[in-house]
Amino acid sequence: MKKLIVILFIAVSISASAQDRYTEGMSKAMQLWGEQKITEASNLFERIAMAEPDNWLPYYYASLVNTTASFGERDEAKLTQQLEKAKEFVDVAKNISPENPEILILEAMINTAWIAYDGETYGMTLSGKNTKLYNEAMQLAPNNPRVIFSKAEWDMGSARYFGKDTTPYCEDVQRALELFDATESKEVPFYPNWGEDRAKQVLAQCQS
Amino acid sequence: MKFFVLVLFLAIIWTSSAQQTISGNVVDTSGNPIVGANVYLEGTYDGSSTDEAGNFSFQTAETGTQTLVISMMAFEPHYEIGEVSYLKNLKIKLIEAVNQLGGVTLSAGTFEAGDNSKVSVLKPLDIVTTAGAAGDFVAALQTLPGTTTVNEDGRLFVRGGSAEETQVFIDGLRVFQPFNATTNNVPTRGRFSPFLFKGITFSTGGYSAEYGQALSSVLLLNTTDVPDEEKTDISVMSVGGGVGHTKIWDKTSLSINASYINLSPYEALIPSTQGMEWNDPYESISGESVFRVKGNRSMFKFYTGFNHATLDIAQEDINFEDLVRFRLKNRNLYFNTSYKHFFENNWSIFSGVSMANDVNEIAIMEDTVDTEEINSHIKIAAKKGFSNRFELNTGVELFSTNYEETYQDSDGFTFNGSYDDVLVAGFLEGDIFFSQKFALKLGARAEHSNVLNRFSISPRLSLAYKSGENGQFSLAYGDFYQKPLTESIKFDQSLDLEKTSHYILNYQYLDNGKTFRAEAYYKDYDDLVKFDTQLPEFNSEYSNLGKGYATGIDVFWRDNKSIGNLDYWASYSYLNTKRDYRNFTEAATPNFAPQHNFSVVTKYWVEKLRSQIGVSYSFSSGRPYNNPNTQDFMGEKTKSYNNLSFNMAYLIDQQKILYFSVSNVLSFNNVSNYQYANVPDNTGFYDRRAITPPADSFFFVGFFWTISTNKTSNQLDNL
Repeated sequence: MKKLIVILFIAVSISASAQDRYTEGMSKAMQLWGEQKITEASNLFERIAMAEPDNWLPYYYASLVNTTASFGERDEAKLTQQLEKAKEFVDVAKNISPENPEILILEAMINTAWIAYDGETYGMTLSGKNTKLYNEAMQLAPNNPRVIFSKAEWDMGSARYFGKDTTPYCEDVQRALELFDATESKEVPFYPNWGEDRAKQVLAQCQS
Repeated sequence: MKFFVLVLFLAIIWTSSAQQTISGNVVDTSGNPIVGANVYLEGTYDGSSTDEAGNFSFQTAETGTQTLVISMMAFEPHYEIGEVSYLKNLKIKLIEAVNQLGGVTLSAGTFEAGDNSKVSVLKPLDIVTTAGAAGDFVAALQTLPGTTTVNEDGRLFVRGGSAEETQVFIDGLRVFQPFNATTNNVPTRGRFSPFLFKGITFSTGGYSAEYGQALSSVLLLNTTDVPDEEKTDISVMSVGGGVGHTKIWDKTSLSINASYINLSPYEALIPSTQGMEWNDPYESISGESVFRVKGNRSMFKFYTGFNHATLDIAQEDINFEDLVRFRLKNRNLYFNTSYKHFFENNWSIFSGVSMANDVNEIAIMEDTVDTEEINSHIKIAAKKGFSNRFELNTGVELFSTNYEETYQDSDGFTFNGSYDDVLVAGFLEGDIFFSQKFALKLGARAEHSNVLNRFSISPRLSLAYKSGENGQFSLAYGDFYQKPLTESIKFDQSLDLEKTSHYILNYQYLDNGKTFRAEAYYKDYDDLVKFDTQLPEFNSEYSNLGKGYATGIDVFWRDNKSIGNLDYWASYSYLNTKRDYRNFTEAATPNFAPQHNFSVVTKYWVEKLRSQIGVSYSFSSGRPYNNPNTQDFMGEKTKSYNNLSFNMAYLIDQQKILYFSVSNVLSFNNVSNYQYANVPDNTGFYDRRAITPPADSFFFVGFFWTISTNKTSNQLDNL
């Protein structure tokens, strides 16, 4: 009996320490990201990803860090490097977790970063892909606030371009905002939860 | 037992307290520090990033033998295996990964239009929004250097070569009749709608051993793997209309389109009057379909194209008082199917078949010519990447031709001509990247023609050296063989293959939206077919005694960044060529080879009007022609050619576009050649007639409507 307890204890402590290591590592990476230490954050997410090959989240974040850092980047070499890296990670994440709406909208975000950098070159070829990605995500998770918001923001962009009314999409943003609080998964640690602040900003623009 | 737990517990405490420091410095092969590299112990979270000086240092509780990984984009990953306590003050040199971003490319002689290719000089969209091109992708390629403006023909004339010296391939398989059937002085168009293709490679010389039977140039078109979305396209144009639809079922997709072209309404409104009249203007019905299945490791494609065209025209001829009537009925059916499989170990296998059936019914005055040609191409190829530094490409091919014609003149004289040939070819080629800066492509191609009973071996070589951040030099050499054209081979099958050798030196500079290319070349022609009559006839004397050369410089400049919303490119080609071929009495510059060619294409996006406005200008110096009233053979030149074209695409909304274009806005009177009388008049003078386009300018108006589920796509990329 004693033996069993000891074995159990060891097993628990090992898994607990592994769990802690993951939590600690991810928190540290989030902190680095918060401090705008992009390379360090990306490298740490990458290290965690390498050590946790069955978990899509570290890959997702390694990709997300590089993607968000690319918006506003004007240095083509740096931008290309970041976005290629982001694409590499998102592809791995997709392999681990296929049909994941969070990953699909991240993929669309990478395309949007290319379009934002050079709309003339990438607009025509990538916007069709994005529309497809958003539709796919919408089918998988019609109540995911990030999916609703990202799609609405994308549609607003095209509507604005063609001088069309953007108010129908404001309703979607409003709906997304209501869902951010209500439905967000708290079960999986570090499950993506971004978007609420940005959605509030966009809604404010809608109402002004 | 208790003791055991205690030991274990102590062991844990001991290891966690015994932190070891791992440190070192990371540089590239030239000794410059690498910043931001990820350094970590494999399988753990322990690691760090290198700082501005390339230094790294971190603590770990791991013990024993561990693997330290140093990884950085665009570099080969580096591994250090050793006892943790020894992983200190390491000096690590990372080697640049080849085939990565910013590496050297084997690009001598080629222009690419694609989405992501490093050497793309044109984007797919450019192909179809070029003023004067009117949606014909071949016409857009004519704005690139190395081509000459032969406006009355419409096909590609490359570096002093005739149009027949360029071959077209779809997904690696030959297209036997890439252009619509037409007659003299009525320019043709490419048969294919450009939006089915994701990438276009246009090689003006020195191309890969994978391609043969083209003396001058190859045009490689790759169809889209997976369409982005389901949609229906409708177009209404001043010259006809079309519908298209794309359907997607998960990994499988089908695109079909059909179009009807009829020049009658246009001709009724704005008749073409110069030197001709239409009895029945050009009319065609055509359809295309592509069926694709994408697997995890495979791609299957099936392309079908069908075209039925008729025209009935009467043209001036100096030797006849009345207009000469020409009637044509053409039917063309083309299949192209291919399967590609990617294996685990970096092998990939390609197999494909293309087949064409082309039937012509031609009537020239009272004479008739009926022809039927069946061609096929079978290809099996394999590719293996041994590392990212060495790739091997090999394959075998079989081309078969079956040609039959029946000629009948008004007196009842009949001539039947036919020939069959099977041509077998094999190729082997390796791409070797010695470093990020230096690469080599080395290959050879062997061919055997059954009907000629001739065997040939063509070596191909291409070298590239990256001289700096943005610039690179390339060199290419190759021998190219081609069977004599059907017009001669149908009468004489003892002829030999025609041959050219290409020598190319290229410099390319790419910098953030700016592209500069300059290419110098020399082409040596040998064994060209000659005959002793004005046109090849069944009783002509044929030989392979012709030869010639072509040399010149091509310059290309493109800039789409410096001026907001403006994108432009300019091309200049200098060409010096002479050849003795066909019925030439001596070596001379042919009519299709003007010495100077210049063109500039501009596109300006007007945000307020949601319109793209395009202006193109092209110039070429006078074209040589033969005046029998002088002693000099091909000794005279026409006046120079000028054309200013304009187009505008207006986005009515996300799904509707109005498109307008006009060619030769300033109505320059261009003369492409002169036709002289066969016999002199009673004063001994040969009379002549200028060959000019049927009309100086051409107008085009079109309305394009896309109905898609997501309401955002449009046909701007189809124009």
